Order: sequence, then structure tokens, then C-alpha cells
Amino acid sequence: MKRWELALLVVLVAEIAIFATANPKFLMPRVIFGSINDIIPICIISLFVTMVMITAGIDIQAGAVVGLASIVLGVSWQDLGLNIWVAALFAIAVAALVGLLTGYIVAYFKVQPMVVTLGGSFLYAGLALLVSTLSSTESYKGISGFPDSFTSFASYRIGGVLPVQVVVFLVMAVFAYVLLHRTKYGRKIFLIGINQNAAEYAGINTRFIIMTTYVLSSISAAVAGIVLTSYLGTAKSDLGASLTLPIITAVVLGGTLMTGGKGSIIGTALAAVIIGELKFGLPLCFRVNMQYLDIPVGVLLLVVVSARAVASRPGFQVLVHKLKSHGRN
Amino acid sequence: MLLKLLRRYELKALAFLLGMFVIVTAVNPSFMSAESLTNCFNDSVVFTLLAVGAGFVILTGEIDVSVGSVLGISSAVAATCLRDGGSLPTAVCLALLIGAFVGLVNGIGVAVLKIPSLIFTLGTYGVARGAVYVYTGGAWVENLPAWFTGASHSYIAGYLTWFYAGVVLLVVAAQILISCTHKGRNFIAVGDNINGARLVGINPTQTKIWAFVLSGVFASLAGILFTSRIGFITPMSGNSYEMKAIAACVLGGISLSGGLGTLVGAAIGAVIMTSITRILVFLGLSSNYDNTITGIILIVIVVVNTVIQDRAILNSHREISLKRIAKEAFKE
Repeated sequence: MKRWELALLVVLVAEIAIFATANPKFLMPRVIFGSINDIIPICIISLFVTMVMITAGIDIQAGAVVGLASIVLGVSWQDLGLNIWVAALFAIAVAALVGLLTGYIVAYFKVQPMVVTLGGSFLYAGLALLVSTLSSTESYKGISGFPDSFTSFASYRIGGVLPVQVVVFLVMAVFAYVLLHRTKYGRKIFLIGINQNAAEYAGINTRFIIMTTYVLSSISAAVAGIVLTSYLGTAKSDLGASLTLPIITAVVLGGTLMTGGKGSIIGTALAAVIIGELKFGLPLCFRVNMQYLDIPVGVLLLVVVSARAVASRPGFQVLVHKLKSHGRN
Repeated sequence: MLLKLLRRYELKALAFLLGMFVIVTAVNPSFMSAESLTNCFNDSVVFTLLAVGAGFVILTGEIDVSVGSVLGISSAVAATCLRDGGSLPTAVCLALLIGAFVGLVNGIGVAVLKIPSLIFTLGTYGVARGAVYVYTGGAWVENLPAWFTGASHSYIAGYLTWFYAGVVLLVVAAQILISCTHKGRNFIAVGDNINGARLVGINPTQTKIWAFVLSGVFASLAGILFTSRIGFITPMSGNSYEMKAIAACVLGGISLSGGLGTLVGAAIGAVIMTSITRILVFLGLSSNYDNTITGIILIVIVVVNTVIQDRAILNSHREISLKRIAKEAFKE
């Protein structure tokens, strides 16, 4: 395990220890796993946005895709009469298509990823709203009344304790880990992020691989949208509206370099859980108002990246070296 | 001459805006009235200020996603001050100070600590948004004095508001600043080639800090106009405006990689962004199409522009190599 991931793990353990001493209830499996629903979309999506960011891209449309997947699922179930699981697959397919379009524009037209996904975040949020008007239900109400087999999915506990969402997250994390760190495909992603021209000269189809990272992140957004819909029991077009910034926060906090070429799935997963537990633990253990939670998350991000920037400065490292040798004498 | 002018991106954006107006008029002639046309401009004051502020930062090659939150916190503070009987200068000064302070923090984080701007401003975005909740206690700020909310409806001539006239003056002043003054030209120099700028004696750190401070100040000014126009402030005021401001800059021809574009372009982009909603009404479409159309326009414009640029670069490469070949053939 690398140093950064170790640091994140220490932060996570310290965080849990602080919350547990403040309120012992925090450690109860029912409570700690009950919090998972609010953070599961961030956890799932940030895993795959990590891959996009390692290719030196960025994906700020994932939040919009969550809403799109949710409403496509709802409308195709209620108004097209599809089986709920077929509808879920259909939603994933739509999201994959959407990711393909974005990825194609980024990779083959070489437009800045930030601009394309910014446009995408408007476009897909708008499409989601339009899809919701196709339904016979008013769009602000959302579509509900899903069959029990679907809504009970999110409340099912394996062995009475472990929620299915956690398993979904773990499975996707392992999948992402193997894909990024243990396959040729993953090595190619890293090489593209370090130097796209070099990768191209090395015979890698860089455009195709960049495109697929956007498809993967959109599919993960769709999965998150379906899990969220199952938990809430309601399909709405604006479910993911506030997810974009926490996702980027998790990826960056996890040690992924914005300029590409560096990053890890474990780091992202740890960072996502840290943010999630912070958002859950502060109101529970310290009675912090839910609406104030942007502040601790923002402060955490600022402190961590600032500390990291200061620590990586040559001057600081010389100072550390001096202190160490001073200690020895 | 005319063709050369059309190559300038902000003129293309202006042509696009006029084209949009012409199409809408063709579909629904009632659009072509002085009132609805000027309203397209009057409505854009908030986004114009946000986009121009963000434009300073984007020109230097950075990005500022905290402008929506800065608008939120400065408008909340200004509105509370006015509601409790404070004078206008006090409220404006408070708002501008907050904007300048957040901008300064952003600038120091990005330029001195060398943290990627998206990440750092993402952090201040969260903190500033949370601060709005803390400051207002989650409640709305209402019952603002009538003279303040009425100010947004006072007209300078015909249907044109004082607000838009003032904003136009500000945009022109900002454009003169960055294209005609030494300090101002540094913004573009730093965005275009930071190492080159350093070599010719420009201080990139200082320039970037100024860009962020200006962005914060413009965002808080936008907050004051926003308060006057809307008449009340919720804790969510200005939420997600940063994305629209950045989109307006892109529509107006500012390149997100820095060094390319004008603030006038950003202002035109902001008018395009805000006109879309109004135009949809005249086209008989519901406002549900708002985001879809915005997204499509943004993506199509950027793709077309990139393709044209790439082709121009390829052509110039080809011309250069053709010339070289001709030269060598001539030698032999």
C-alpha cells in the first residue's frame, strides 16, 4: 500500500474512533450501514471517474446521468410496461450510449473534456426532464409504486446485517481495481495520462481507450441511479443534481492527479468512504446541522490538498531532512 | 475585411445571437418588439457579471467554480444588512469585501500553493455555500426595502434598465483593462504561456491572484444585482450558477486552456445563455427544453469550433511544408 492510501486509512480510522467515542451508537452495524444509502452513489461513481481523470480527462456529467438513468428506468417501467429488471438494463444501456457520445466527442474531436462534460451535464439533465414529461405522472412528483422485488432490493440485508448496496460497491470496487491495476487496459490508461503521444506511438489505440473510460463512468452512474431509485422508491430526473462536486472531491482526495497519469482505486474508495462517514457522523455524533455539511467537506478538501502541496515542496523536504539529521545528532 | 472580422470569435458569437433572434422572429413575429429584445439583455445582468468575472480567471488558464457560492454568501450578507436598515454603501462594501476575500483565498491557494484551481475553488465553493446556511440559519431573507428592489426596474431609456447600462460600462472597462493596459495584458500572457510570461518579467503569481480577486468582486456585484432583481434570498441562491457562467464564457469564445478570448465575448455568451429561456417561450416550447437546448448548443458550437481550428492548423502546416518543398526544388 502506498503512503497516501495509508494516510487515508489512518484518517478514516481516526474519524471512526472520534465518532465512536462521541456517540457509541455510531458503531452499531444497523446505524453505520444505514448511512450507506446516502453515500453509495458517490462511492460507486468516483471509482470510475478516477479512470477518466487518470487519462487527464474529467467527467462532470455523471450527476446528470444518475438522474437520466433513474427517470429512464421509471418511465420505461411505468409507461412502456417493461419488466422492472429489463427497465434497469435499458437504463444502463441508455447511460452507456450517453457516455459513448461524450467519450467520442472528447476522444475523436479532441475537445476539452471539461467543456464536453459541462455541455453534457446540461444536455442530459435536460433530457432527463424531457423523458419525465413523457410519463403520465407529474415530473416533480417522480415515479413511484415500484414492485416490491425492486424496492426491497435496497433494504435487503445479507445475513441480516450487510446491505446489498455495500456488496454492490465492493464488487464494483474490486472490478475497478482489477481493471485499472491488474490488466493491460489499466496500464494503457495510465500511459495515456502520462503522455498520450507516447502511448499513441507505442501502438495503443488511445482514442478508443479514452472513449471507453467515459462509457464506464456513465455506466457506473447508471448503476448508482438504479440503486438510489430502489432505495428511495421514487424515480426522479434530478436525483444526481448535487453529486458532481462530491464525486470530484472524492477522486482528488483519493490521490488522483488532475493532470493525469496517477491515481488509485483504493485511494478513491477510501476517500469516498471518509467523506460519506463525515457527512453521516457529524450530524449523528456532534449534532451538526445537515445543511452545514458543505463546510467540513470543503475544509477537509482544502486542508488536505494544501498540506499535500506544502509537503511536496522542495524547501519543505529539505527542512524535513534537516530535522531528521538534527534528531540523529 | 468583413471575413477577417468574422474570424474573431466574439463576433461569431454575436452573429449567432442575432441569428437566434432572426429565427425566432421568423417563427413568431411578436418577438420582434423593443420590449422583448431589450429584456433578453436586461435579464442577463447577473450572468454577465459572473461570466466576465470568471472570464478573468479562465483567461489566465485557471478555473473558478466558487462564483455561485460567492454570489450566495455576498447577496445573503448584503440583503440582511439592507433588511435591518443598513445603508446601500455599507451593504455593497460588505458584499464586495466578502467577494474580494474569497477571491484572495482562491488566488493564494492556486497561485502560491500551486493547487489545481478546480480542486481549490471546489473547496471554497463548499465552504462558502455552507457559510450561507450558517449566516441565514437556513431561512429566507425577505422584506427588503422597496427602493432597493425597485431599482432593478428603473429604466435609463425606453426599456433598457440602468442595471444593464451599468453592466455594459463595467464590461467595456474590464475589456479595456485587459486589452489596453500593461497589467491587464498580463492576464492573457500568463494564460497563453506562463513560462514565457515569466521570462519577460511578468509575475504570474500576482497576476493570478488579481484574476481571482476580480472574479470574486464581480461575483459579489452580481449578488447585489441578483438580490435587487429577485427581491429575496434563499440559502440556495446562486447554486449551480458557476456552471452556467463557465458555459457562457465558452459560448463567448474564451478557451478553457487560457490565453484566448475576450470579456466582451463572455458577456455575449451570457446573453445567449439567458435568452434561450425567453426564446423557448416564443417558440411555443415549454421551459423543460431549457437545459437540453443549452447543452446541445454548447457541445455543437465547441465541436464545430475545434474542428475548424484543427483544420486551420493542418492547412497552415501543409502550406508551410509545401513552401519548403517548393524552395528545395527550386534550389536543385
